[in-house]
Amino acid sequence: MKHLKSFNKKAKMLDRTVSPEQVEDVVAMQSIVGCTSVNDPGWEVDPFGGLGSLCQPMEADLYGCADACWWPAQVPDTMSSHPNWSQDVVKADEDWRKLDSIFPEE
Amino acid sequence: MKKNKITRALLGAGALTLMSLSPAQAQDADGASIIRERCTACHIDSGDADKPFSRISEQRKTPEGWMMTISRMQKLRGAVIPADEKRALVKYLADNQGLAPAETEGLRYVLEKEPNVLESFDPLIQETCVRCHSGARIALQRRTEEEWKWLVHFHMGQQPTAELHAGARDRDWFGIALNQVAPKLGQDYALNTQQWSQWQAATKQPLNGSWAMSGFLPQKGNFNADVVVTQTDKDHYELTLNGQYEDGSKLSGSGKAVVYTGYEWRASVTVDGVKMRQVLAASADGKTLTGRMFERDADVMGGPVTAVKANAITKISPSYIKQGERKLITISGNQLKGSVALGSGVKVIRVESRDNNHLTVLVEASRSAAVGSRNVQVGKTSSKAALAVYDQLARVEITPVESIARVGGGGGLIPKQKSWYRAVGYAAGQDGKPGTADDLRLGYMPATWSLKPFDEIAEHDDDIRYAGTIDSRGIFTPGDAGPNPDRKMSTNNVGNLAVVGTVQDGQQTVSAQTHLLVTVQKFVQALID
Repeated sequence: MKHLKSFNKKAKMLDRTVSPEQVEDVVAMQSIVGCTSVNDPGWEVDPFGGLGSLCQPMEADLYGCADACWWPAQVPDTMSSHPNWSQDVVKADEDWRKLDSIFPEE
Repeated sequence: MKKNKITRALLGAGALTLMSLSPAQAQDADGASIIRERCTACHIDSGDADKPFSRISEQRKTPEGWMMTISRMQKLRGAVIPADEKRALVKYLADNQGLAPAETEGLRYVLEKEPNVLESFDPLIQETCVRCHSGARIALQRRTEEEWKWLVHFHMGQQPTAELHAGARDRDWFGIALNQVAPKLGQDYALNTQQWSQWQAATKQPLNGSWAMSGFLPQKGNFNADVVVTQTDKDHYELTLNGQYEDGSKLSGSGKAVVYTGYEWRASVTVDGVKMRQVLAASADGKTLTGRMFERDADVMGGPVTAVKANAITKISPSYIKQGERKLITISGNQLKGSVALGSGVKVIRVESRDNNHLTVLVEASRSAAVGSRNVQVGKTSSKAALAVYDQLARVEITPVESIARVGGGGGLIPKQKSWYRAVGYAAGQDGKPGTADDLRLGYMPATWSLKPFDEIAEHDDDIRYAGTIDSRGIFTPGDAGPNPDRKMSTNNVGNLAVVGTVQDGQQTVSAQTHLLVTVQKFVQALID
């Protein structure tokens, strides 16, 4: 690894963390109510407390979050609980305006 | 989509709003018979008086918690429960299997929808539950150990990738959740507690009468209101609010409230045309209500409120005076009669105006008044450490210390989630050094507001241009939702920003900053996050 140079922004940020434990420490501190602390790569915030490592724009890979039930408190899981949430929107990056929140208390 | 819009209006900021509209007969419906009628296709009617219904009888929750459970049964398990029976069932379960006031202490923020709360729970719970939920959501439930274990099984069945998430796939997540976390929860949050037995036995006080309310709303600042509460049926009330904001403009409103579990006040009110909710807790003596009032359709936009029925002081504004300064101070409360005393070195020059619940007094602090807090007294009523005398403003803190806002709108269906800020002033205290334990808190101070990039990356990505704006009241409005073709890789209008608050105090200018992460929207709205 010492002969490899970090090329992009995410890699540089990874370089700055000393150890996996340090990453966990950072994650543990970022618990704002309503945000997930599952940070691979993260929904609201990335493992480094910023935005640089998130999938952006979010719409480009939104269904990759939904069908894998990756952030079920942020994105409706279309695997089990809300299979029809996005059925009318084939391409989230083009038709994102048609996507609404779900209200489990309905 | 249309249905969802209506649902957002009704339920987005709290389905319990509907409770206040319930007809009187609904509360009389027999909860147990509704369970027998509607739930025993799956749940077993055991015939055991201690736990008559399988699973249901082995849990206790807040009214919001029960509402979420019943809604899930309807949505995912096919339960058919008409709206009036659902209201009656939530009331019955919250009353008979609720949480004692002491069991909700320190956790009410999640019921009150307070934004930007930082949580820290036991690592075992943090790593297992709080990765997705608030810690308060777990800590506001009581179950037997076996019941907590069923909850683990539910998660594996409903969301099987939970054990593949970061923080789970590197360990035996299921084994840990089942064999370590569930037993711990069974101990920490057990079904049967002394607190609950005592609360069940306690006499519950009716909450009708005349109240004096003080509070803060981000758009208009501090307010006071006289609140008249009339009982319409057992635990059902109507209320009117009449008062004014600190700038002198009037406030008026009315609404309905339901009280659950003998103390959980849930009201839906319309204040100057804006639909709002009150999530308050009544004290055991029924003489104080505390909690939060917020916009039904934008729960971030709200603030703390306190109402008192007995003789008491609720707010001093401003809560600070500089040595040698002369200024107007407003004291709010209930039945404030008698002369005003503000402690050593602070003289009342004259009373400018007064009624039963408010006093505006012109006061002067002597140049030699000792730095420190004073009790404020009106007649026989006093408020401890309510007024601070200071020498100079030494530092400012911006609240909240961490914050998020979410992009929204832009032609999409999900509204923007704003954030808002206040500046708290401190004097240096005895040691003359700001930032030490003896700093004297002065209270909230007027400030001017600006934004700047939080770090180099934010500067490089020009977040400040896209992520949103802050107004003179300290309210931040995020940018539009959706991919932005003007940004690199069409990234969203997210941003990593610092919010800077600057307080001008005489010749002094003191600034401080806090962190704001402008992030993407949430597609799941829950009564309890």
